[in-house]
Amino acid sequence: MSSTTRPQSLICEVTHRCPLHCLYCSNPIEMQKMETELPAEVWRRVFQEAAALGILHLHLTGGEPLARKDLAELIQAGHDAGLYVNMVTSGVGLTEERLAGLVQAGLEHLQLSFQDADEARANYIAGTRAHAWKLGLVPLIKRQRLAFTVNLVVHRQNLDRLEEMIALAESLEPNRIEIAHVQYYGWALKNRNLLMPTEEQVRYALPVVEAAKTRLRGKIHLDAVLPDYYANFPKACVGGWGRQMILIDPAGRALPCHSAGILPGFSFDNVREKSLSWIWDQSPAFERFRGDAWMSETCRSCDRKERDFGGCRCQAFLLTGNMEAIDPVCTYSPQHGLMEELRKPVGDELLPIYRNS
Amino acid sequence: MTPDSIPQMTPGYRLHPIQDVVLIPEGVLELSGPSRDILLEVDGKRTVREIVHHLAAKYEGADENEMLDDVVALLGRLAERGVLQG
Repeated sequence: MSSTTRPQSLICEVTHRCPLHCLYCSNPIEMQKMETELPAEVWRRVFQEAAALGILHLHLTGGEPLARKDLAELIQAGHDAGLYVNMVTSGVGLTEERLAGLVQAGLEHLQLSFQDADEARANYIAGTRAHAWKLGLVPLIKRQRLAFTVNLVVHRQNLDRLEEMIALAESLEPNRIEIAHVQYYGWALKNRNLLMPTEEQVRYALPVVEAAKTRLRGKIHLDAVLPDYYANFPKACVGGWGRQMILIDPAGRALPCHSAGILPGFSFDNVREKSLSWIWDQSPAFERFRGDAWMSETCRSCDRKERDFGGCRCQAFLLTGNMEAIDPVCTYSPQHGLMEELRKPVGDELLPIYRNS
Repeated sequence: MTPDSIPQMTPGYRLHPIQDVVLIPEGVLELSGPSRDILLEVDGKRTVREIVHHLAAKYEGADENEMLDDVVALLGRLAERGVLQG
Protein backbone atom coordinates (compact mmCIF):
# COMPACT_ATOMS: atom_id res chain seq x y z
CA MET A 1 0.00 0.00 0.00
CA SER A 2 1.48 3.34 -0.88
CA SER A 3 0.84 6.34 1.27
CA THR A 4 -2.24 8.41 0.62
CA THR A 5 -1.43 11.02 3.25
CA ARG A 6 1.25 13.68 3.07
CA PRO A 7 3.52 14.43 6.01
CA GLN A 8 2.96 17.73 7.85
CA SER A 9 5.92 17.89 10.21
CA LEU A 10 9.62 17.28 10.02
CA ILE A 11 11.24 16.76 13.40
CA CYS A 12 14.99 17.17 13.28
CA GLU A 13 17.18 16.07 16.16
CA VAL A 14 20.10 18.15 14.97
CA THR A 15 22.35 16.87 17.77
CA HIS A 16 22.09 14.59 20.78
CA ARG A 17 24.53 16.74 22.76
CA CYS A 18 22.79 18.41 25.69
CA PRO A 19 23.82 20.23 28.87
CA LEU A 20 20.79 18.78 30.68
CA HIS A 21 20.37 15.23 31.94
CA CYS A 22 16.62 15.09 32.41
CA LEU A 23 15.38 11.92 34.04
CA TYR A 24 12.55 11.75 31.52
CA CYS A 25 14.71 12.31 28.40
CA SER A 26 12.94 10.94 25.32
CA ASN A 27 16.15 10.47 23.36
CA PRO A 28 17.33 6.91 22.86
CA ILE A 29 19.60 5.26 25.40
CA GLU A 30 22.38 5.01 22.82
CA MET A 31 22.84 8.50 21.42
CA GLN A 32 24.47 9.63 18.20
CA LYS A 33 27.95 11.11 18.62
CA MET A 34 28.95 14.55 17.37
CA GLU A 35 31.19 13.07 14.62
CA THR A 36 28.17 11.46 12.98
CA GLU A 37 26.03 14.64 12.88
CA LEU A 38 24.71 15.75 9.51
CA PRO A 39 26.40 18.86 8.14
CA ALA A 40 24.36 21.98 7.38
CA GLU A 41 24.43 21.44 3.62
CA VAL A 42 22.66 18.07 3.96
CA TRP A 43 20.07 19.58 6.30
CA ARG A 44 19.50 22.35 3.76
CA ARG A 45 18.71 19.81 1.04
CA VAL A 46 16.46 17.85 3.40
CA PHE A 47 14.47 21.00 4.26
CA GLN A 48 13.98 21.73 0.55
CA GLU A 49 12.78 18.16 -0.01
CA ALA A 50 10.45 18.45 2.99
CA ALA A 51 8.83 21.59 1.63
CA ALA A 52 8.41 19.90 -1.76
CA LEU A 53 6.64 17.00 0.00
CA GLY A 54 4.12 19.46 1.44
CA ILE A 55 5.57 19.63 4.96
CA LEU A 56 4.73 22.94 6.69
CA HIS A 57 6.47 22.68 10.04
CA LEU A 58 10.11 22.19 10.87
CA HIS A 59 10.87 21.32 14.50
CA LEU A 60 14.49 21.74 15.50
CA THR A 61 15.20 19.74 18.59
CA GLY A 62 17.88 17.54 20.08
CA GLY A 63 19.55 17.12 22.45
CA GLU A 64 20.09 20.80 22.63
CA PRO A 65 20.01 22.54 19.22
CA LEU A 66 22.11 25.41 20.63
CA ALA A 67 25.03 22.96 20.86
CA ARG A 68 25.32 23.33 17.07
CA LYS A 69 27.47 26.32 16.20
CA ASP A 70 25.75 26.49 12.81
CA LEU A 71 22.22 26.64 14.26
CA ALA A 72 21.44 30.03 12.67
CA GLU A 73 22.44 28.55 9.31
CA LEU A 74 20.05 25.62 9.86
CA ILE A 75 17.20 27.96 10.78
CA GLN A 76 17.92 30.11 7.74
CA ALA A 77 17.87 27.00 5.55
CA GLY A 78 14.47 25.96 6.93
CA HIS A 79 13.11 29.45 6.49
CA ASP A 80 14.47 29.68 2.93
CA ALA A 81 12.71 26.42 2.10
CA GLY A 82 9.43 28.03 3.19
CA LEU A 83 9.00 26.02 6.39
CA TYR A 84 7.67 27.38 9.69
CA VAL A 85 10.63 27.00 12.05
CA ASN A 86 10.02 25.80 15.63
CA MET A 87 12.78 25.15 18.15
CA VAL A 88 12.71 23.19 21.40
CA THR A 89 15.51 24.35 23.66
CA SER A 90 16.70 24.36 27.26
CA GLY A 91 18.01 27.86 26.60
CA VAL A 92 21.15 27.08 28.56
CA GLY A 93 23.95 29.31 27.32
CA LEU A 94 21.69 31.36 25.04
CA THR A 95 22.54 35.06 24.97
CA GLU A 96 20.33 37.90 23.79
CA GLU A 97 22.66 38.50 20.85
CA ARG A 98 22.56 34.89 19.69
CA LEU A 99 18.79 34.72 20.11
CA ALA A 100 18.36 37.87 18.01
CA GLY A 101 20.47 36.20 15.31
CA LEU A 102 18.29 33.08 15.36
CA VAL A 103 15.11 35.17 15.03
CA GLN A 104 16.73 37.17 12.24
CA ALA A 105 17.49 33.87 10.48
CA GLY A 106 13.81 32.90 10.58
CA LEU A 107 13.02 31.28 13.92
CA GLU A 108 9.28 31.73 14.56
CA HIS A 109 8.54 29.74 17.69
CA LEU A 110 10.59 28.78 20.70
CA GLN A 111 9.62 26.23 23.34
CA LEU A 112 11.20 26.23 26.77
CA SER A 113 10.50 23.54 29.37
CA PHE A 114 10.28 23.98 33.12
CA GLN A 115 10.84 20.93 35.28
CA ASP A 116 9.10 22.21 38.43
CA ALA A 117 7.95 25.41 40.15
CA ASP A 118 10.55 24.82 42.85
CA GLU A 119 14.14 25.52 41.80
CA ALA A 120 15.91 22.74 43.70
CA ARG A 121 13.39 20.14 42.56
CA ALA A 122 13.52 21.39 38.97
CA ASN A 123 17.31 21.09 38.94
CA TYR A 124 17.09 17.59 40.43
CA ILE A 125 14.88 16.47 37.54
CA ALA A 126 17.03 18.23 34.91
CA GLY A 127 20.23 16.87 36.44
CA THR A 128 21.64 20.38 35.95
CA ARG A 129 21.27 23.80 37.53
CA ALA A 130 19.19 25.15 34.68
CA HIS A 131 16.04 26.53 36.32
CA ALA A 132 17.32 30.00 37.24
CA TRP A 133 18.96 30.38 33.84
CA LYS A 134 15.69 29.58 32.09
CA LEU A 135 13.78 32.10 34.18
CA GLY A 136 16.38 34.73 33.36
CA LEU A 137 16.06 34.00 29.67
CA VAL A 138 12.31 34.61 29.46
CA PRO A 139 12.44 38.46 29.36
CA LEU A 140 14.94 38.20 26.48
CA ILE A 141 12.59 35.87 24.59
CA LYS A 142 9.67 38.23 25.20
CA ARG A 143 11.58 41.09 23.57
CA GLN A 144 11.84 39.18 20.28
CA ARG A 145 9.20 38.87 17.58
CA LEU A 146 8.64 35.22 18.29
CA ALA A 147 5.90 32.88 19.51
CA PHE A 148 6.73 31.38 22.88
CA THR A 149 5.57 28.13 24.51
CA VAL A 150 6.21 27.07 28.08
CA ASN A 151 6.28 23.30 28.34
CA LEU A 152 5.68 21.56 31.66
CA VAL A 153 6.61 17.89 31.81
CA VAL A 154 4.74 16.24 34.65
CA HIS A 155 5.23 13.01 36.61
CA ARG A 156 5.02 11.64 40.13
CA GLN A 157 7.79 13.91 41.46
CA ASN A 158 6.03 17.17 40.54
CA LEU A 159 2.38 16.48 39.78
CA ASP A 160 1.29 17.49 43.30
CA ARG A 161 2.52 21.00 42.49
CA LEU A 162 0.73 21.29 39.13
CA GLU A 163 -1.17 24.40 40.20
CA GLU A 164 2.06 26.17 41.20
CA MET A 165 3.67 25.05 37.95
CA ILE A 166 0.80 26.45 35.89
CA ALA A 167 0.96 29.69 37.91
CA LEU A 168 4.68 29.94 37.15
CA ALA A 169 4.05 29.32 33.44
CA GLU A 170 1.26 31.89 33.41
CA SER A 171 3.48 34.52 35.04
CA LEU A 172 5.92 34.14 32.12
CA GLU A 173 3.16 35.23 29.70
CA PRO A 174 3.76 32.76 26.88
CA ASN A 175 1.47 32.38 23.86
CA ARG A 176 1.03 28.75 24.73
CA ILE A 177 1.40 26.36 27.67
CA GLU A 178 1.86 22.68 27.03
CA ILE A 179 1.39 20.19 29.85
CA ALA A 180 2.75 16.79 28.98
CA HIS A 181 2.88 13.64 31.04
CA VAL A 182 6.16 11.81 30.65
CA GLN A 183 6.09 9.23 27.91
CA TYR A 184 7.97 6.10 28.83
CA TYR A 185 10.37 5.62 25.94
CA GLY A 186 14.09 6.15 25.55
CA TRP A 187 15.90 7.14 28.72
CA ALA A 188 12.63 7.92 30.50
CA LEU A 189 11.78 4.23 30.64
CA LYS A 190 14.75 3.66 32.97
CA ASN A 191 13.13 6.02 35.48
CA ARG A 192 9.58 4.78 35.07
CA ASN A 193 9.26 3.63 38.66
CA LEU A 194 10.37 7.02 39.91
CA LEU A 195 8.20 9.04 37.53
CA MET A 196 4.95 7.09 37.12
CA PRO A 197 2.21 9.18 38.71
CA THR A 198 -0.21 7.67 41.18
CA GLU A 199 -3.88 7.33 40.42
CA GLU A 200 -4.67 10.00 43.03
CA GLN A 201 -2.31 12.43 41.31
CA VAL A 202 -3.84 11.80 37.91
CA ARG A 203 -7.33 12.32 39.35
CA TYR A 204 -6.19 15.57 40.98
CA ALA A 205 -4.50 16.84 37.79
CA LEU A 206 -7.35 16.44 35.30
CA PRO A 207 -9.70 19.10 36.78
CA VAL A 208 -6.71 21.39 37.48
CA VAL A 209 -5.87 21.33 33.77
CA GLU A 210 -9.50 21.85 32.74
CA ALA A 211 -9.89 24.79 35.14
CA ALA A 212 -6.69 26.39 33.81
CA LYS A 213 -7.89 25.97 30.22
CA THR A 214 -11.11 27.79 31.04
CA ARG A 215 -9.43 30.50 33.09
CA LEU A 216 -6.76 31.21 30.46
CA ARG A 217 -9.08 31.09 27.43
CA GLY A 218 -8.40 33.99 25.09
CA LYS A 219 -5.11 34.78 26.84
CA ILE A 220 -2.90 31.70 26.75
CA HIS A 221 -3.67 28.60 24.73
CA LEU A 222 -3.25 25.44 26.79
CA ASP A 223 -2.56 22.03 25.29
CA ALA A 224 -2.43 18.97 27.50
CA VAL A 225 -1.16 15.47 26.75
CA LEU A 226 -2.86 12.83 28.89
CA PRO A 227 -1.04 10.08 30.76
CA ASP A 228 -0.99 7.10 28.49
CA TYR A 229 -0.77 4.44 31.19
CA TYR A 230 -4.07 5.61 32.65
CA ALA A 231 -6.01 5.55 29.40
CA ASN A 232 -8.38 2.83 28.21
CA PHE A 233 -7.69 3.41 24.56
CA PRO A 234 -4.32 3.99 22.92
CA LYS A 235 -3.14 7.29 21.52
CA ALA A 236 -2.86 7.80 17.79
CA CYS A 237 0.90 7.76 18.21
CA VAL A 238 2.51 10.52 16.06
CA GLY A 239 -0.84 10.74 14.27
CA GLY A 240 -0.41 7.20 12.97
CA TRP A 241 2.71 5.44 11.69
CA GLY A 242 3.94 7.05 8.46
CA ARG A 243 0.92 9.33 8.26
CA GLN A 244 1.95 12.78 9.50
CA MET A 245 5.56 13.11 10.43
CA ILE A 246 9.14 12.22 9.72
CA LEU A 247 11.85 12.34 12.34
CA ILE A 248 15.50 12.66 11.35
CA ASP A 249 18.08 11.72 13.96
CA PRO A 250 21.43 13.56 14.22
CA ALA A 251 23.14 11.04 11.94
CA GLY A 252 20.45 11.35 9.26
CA ARG A 253 18.35 8.26 9.86
CA ALA A 254 14.69 8.87 8.98
CA LEU A 255 12.27 7.40 11.52
CA PRO A 256 8.47 7.36 11.71
CA CYS A 257 8.66 8.37 15.41
CA HIS A 258 11.09 9.29 18.19
CA SER A 259 11.39 5.79 19.48
CA ALA A 260 11.17 3.53 16.40
CA GLY A 261 14.92 2.83 16.54
CA ILE A 262 14.28 0.26 19.27
CA LEU A 263 12.07 -1.93 17.07
CA PRO A 264 13.74 -5.17 15.94
CA GLY A 265 14.44 -6.08 12.34
CA PHE A 266 14.20 -2.56 10.96
CA SER A 267 16.62 -0.81 8.70
CA PHE A 268 16.01 2.92 8.60
CA ASP A 269 17.11 4.77 5.49
CA ASN A 270 19.43 7.73 5.80
CA VAL A 271 18.82 11.12 4.20
CA ARG A 272 22.47 11.13 3.13
CA GLU A 273 21.61 8.36 0.67
CA LYS A 274 17.90 8.69 -0.05
CA SER A 275 15.56 11.57 -0.76
CA LEU A 276 12.82 12.36 1.72
CA SER A 277 10.13 11.67 -0.88
CA TRP A 278 11.59 8.21 -1.56
CA ILE A 279 11.69 7.52 2.18
CA TRP A 280 8.07 8.62 2.57
CA ASP A 281 6.67 6.87 -0.48
CA GLN A 282 8.89 3.82 -0.91
CA SER A 283 10.86 2.92 2.20
CA PRO A 284 9.88 -0.39 3.84
CA ALA A 285 10.25 1.18 7.32
CA PHE A 286 7.57 3.84 6.74
CA GLU A 287 5.36 1.31 4.96
CA ARG A 288 5.61 -1.29 7.72
CA PHE A 289 2.64 -0.25 9.91
CA ARG A 290 0.54 1.71 7.46
CA GLY A 291 -2.98 0.57 6.75
CA ASP A 292 -4.52 -2.34 8.65
CA ALA A 293 -3.02 -5.46 7.04
CA TRP A 294 -0.50 -5.86 9.91
CA MET A 295 -3.16 -5.51 12.62
CA SER A 296 -4.66 -8.25 14.73
CA GLU A 297 -8.23 -9.18 13.87
CA THR A 298 -9.35 -7.32 17.03
CA CYS A 299 -7.94 -4.04 15.69
CA ARG A 300 -8.82 -4.62 12.05
CA SER A 301 -12.49 -5.08 12.87
CA CYS A 302 -12.56 -2.15 15.33
CA ASP A 303 -13.98 1.28 14.39
CA ARG A 304 -11.33 2.98 16.48
CA LYS A 305 -8.62 2.00 13.97
CA GLU A 306 -9.52 5.15 12.00
CA ARG A 307 -8.77 7.21 15.11
CA ASP A 308 -5.78 5.53 16.75
CA PHE A 309 -4.35 3.68 13.72
CA GLY A 310 -3.61 0.70 15.92
CA GLY A 311 -1.94 2.62 18.77
CA CYS A 312 1.77 2.73 19.49
CA ARG A 313 4.07 0.04 18.10
CA CYS A 314 6.97 0.97 20.35
CA GLN A 315 4.80 0.72 23.44
CA ALA A 316 3.45 -2.66 22.29
CA PHE A 317 7.03 -3.85 21.84
CA LEU A 318 8.39 -2.40 25.09
CA LEU A 319 5.59 -3.80 27.21
CA THR A 320 4.81 -7.12 25.53
CA GLY A 321 7.95 -7.92 23.52
CA ASN A 322 5.87 -8.12 20.35
CA MET A 323 5.68 -5.03 18.13
CA GLU A 324 2.60 -6.36 16.34
CA ALA A 325 0.65 -6.92 19.56
CA ILE A 326 -2.39 -4.82 20.39
CA ASP A 327 -1.17 -1.72 22.25
CA PRO A 328 -1.69 -2.88 25.88
CA VAL A 329 -3.14 0.54 26.75
CA CYS A 330 -6.22 -0.65 24.86
CA THR A 331 -8.92 -2.19 26.97
CA TYR A 332 -9.42 -4.84 24.24
CA SER A 333 -5.83 -6.04 24.58
CA PRO A 334 -5.53 -9.40 26.36
CA GLN A 335 -2.49 -7.83 28.07
CA HIS A 336 -4.30 -4.70 29.28
CA GLY A 337 -3.87 -6.00 32.85
CA LEU A 338 -0.16 -5.10 32.52
CA MET A 339 -1.04 -1.42 32.73
CA GLU A 340 -2.56 -1.85 36.16
CA GLU A 341 0.64 -3.56 37.34
CA LEU A 342 2.80 -0.76 35.96
CA ARG A 343 0.68 1.95 37.59
CA LYS A 344 1.00 0.47 41.06
CA PRO A 345 2.72 2.79 43.52
CA VAL A 346 6.26 1.87 44.39
CA GLY A 347 8.38 2.75 47.41
CA ASP A 348 10.17 6.09 47.89
CA GLU A 349 13.56 4.40 48.11
CA LEU A 350 14.13 4.58 44.37
CA LEU A 351 17.11 6.53 43.11
CA PRO A 352 17.14 8.61 39.94
CA ILE A 353 19.15 7.26 37.03
CA TYR A 354 21.01 10.01 35.18
CA ARG A 355 22.89 9.77 31.92
CA ASN A 356 26.66 9.72 32.43
CA SER A 357 27.45 12.14 29.64
CA MET B 1 -12.69 42.67 19.00
CA THR B 2 -14.81 45.69 18.05
CA PRO B 3 -15.24 47.66 14.79
CA ASP B 4 -12.71 50.17 16.13
CA SER B 5 -10.03 47.62 17.11
CA ILE B 6 -6.80 47.70 15.14
CA PRO B 7 -5.93 44.01 14.74
CA GLN B 8 -2.49 42.73 13.92
CA MET B 9 -1.01 39.28 13.51
CA THR B 10 0.74 37.91 16.61
CA PRO B 11 4.45 37.22 16.02
CA GLY B 12 4.85 33.55 15.17
CA TYR B 13 1.34 33.34 13.67
CA ARG B 14 1.05 33.90 9.93
CA LEU B 15 -0.88 33.13 6.80
CA HIS B 16 0.58 30.44 4.60
CA PRO B 17 1.77 32.13 1.37
CA ILE B 18 -0.70 30.18 -0.79
CA GLN B 19 -2.70 27.63 1.22
CA ASP B 20 -5.86 28.46 3.19
CA VAL B 21 -4.24 27.91 6.56
CA VAL B 22 -2.71 29.99 9.33
CA LEU B 23 0.61 28.62 10.50
CA ILE B 24 0.77 28.65 14.29
CA PRO B 25 3.27 27.17 16.76
CA GLU B 26 3.27 23.38 16.28
CA GLY B 27 0.28 23.37 13.93
CA VAL B 28 -2.13 24.93 11.46
CA LEU B 29 -5.60 26.43 11.60
CA GLU B 30 -7.76 25.75 8.56
CA LEU B 31 -9.45 28.79 7.05
CA SER B 32 -12.77 28.73 5.26
CA GLY B 33 -14.72 31.04 2.93
CA PRO B 34 -13.35 34.57 2.65
CA SER B 35 -11.23 34.33 5.85
CA ARG B 36 -7.99 34.41 3.93
CA ASP B 37 -8.94 37.57 2.01
CA ILE B 38 -9.86 39.24 5.29
CA LEU B 39 -6.66 38.23 7.06
CA LEU B 40 -4.62 39.51 4.14
CA GLU B 41 -5.96 42.98 4.96
CA VAL B 42 -4.93 42.86 8.63
CA ASP B 43 -1.95 45.19 8.83
CA GLY B 44 -1.80 46.54 12.38
CA LYS B 45 -2.65 50.00 11.04
CA ARG B 46 -6.31 50.03 10.01
CA THR B 47 -9.39 49.45 12.15
CA VAL B 48 -11.74 46.56 11.44
CA ARG B 49 -14.25 49.14 10.14
CA GLU B 50 -11.72 50.53 7.65
CA ILE B 51 -10.77 47.03 6.51
CA VAL B 52 -14.43 46.15 5.93
CA HIS B 53 -15.05 49.41 4.07
CA HIS B 54 -12.14 48.57 1.79
CA LEU B 55 -13.37 44.98 1.26
CA ALA B 56 -16.96 46.08 0.62
CA ALA B 57 -15.76 48.11 -2.34
CA LYS B 58 -14.34 44.88 -3.83
CA TYR B 59 -17.49 42.79 -3.25
CA GLU B 60 -20.25 44.52 -5.21
CA GLY B 61 -23.69 44.41 -3.64
CA ALA B 62 -22.37 43.40 -0.20
CA ASP B 63 -24.08 44.89 2.83
CA GLU B 64 -21.29 46.67 4.68
CA ASN B 65 -22.98 46.51 8.10
CA GLU B 66 -23.63 42.79 7.81
CA MET B 67 -20.08 42.28 6.65
CA LEU B 68 -18.78 44.24 9.61
CA ASP B 69 -20.59 41.93 12.05
CA ASP B 70 -19.21 38.85 10.34
CA VAL B 71 -15.66 40.17 10.20
CA VAL B 72 -15.70 41.27 13.86
CA ALA B 73 -16.90 37.78 14.81
CA LEU B 74 -14.25 36.04 12.69
CA LEU B 75 -11.40 38.22 13.92
CA GLY B 76 -12.67 37.82 17.49
CA ARG B 77 -12.42 34.05 17.19
CA LEU B 78 -8.90 34.30 15.79
CA ALA B 79 -7.90 36.71 18.57
CA GLU B 80 -9.21 34.28 21.17
CA ARG B 81 -7.02 31.58 19.63
CA GLY B 82 -4.03 33.94 19.87
CA VAL B 83 -3.62 34.54 16.12
CA LEU B 84 -4.37 38.26 16.39
CA GLN B 85 -3.62 40.98 18.86
CA GLY B 86 -5.35 44.31 19.23
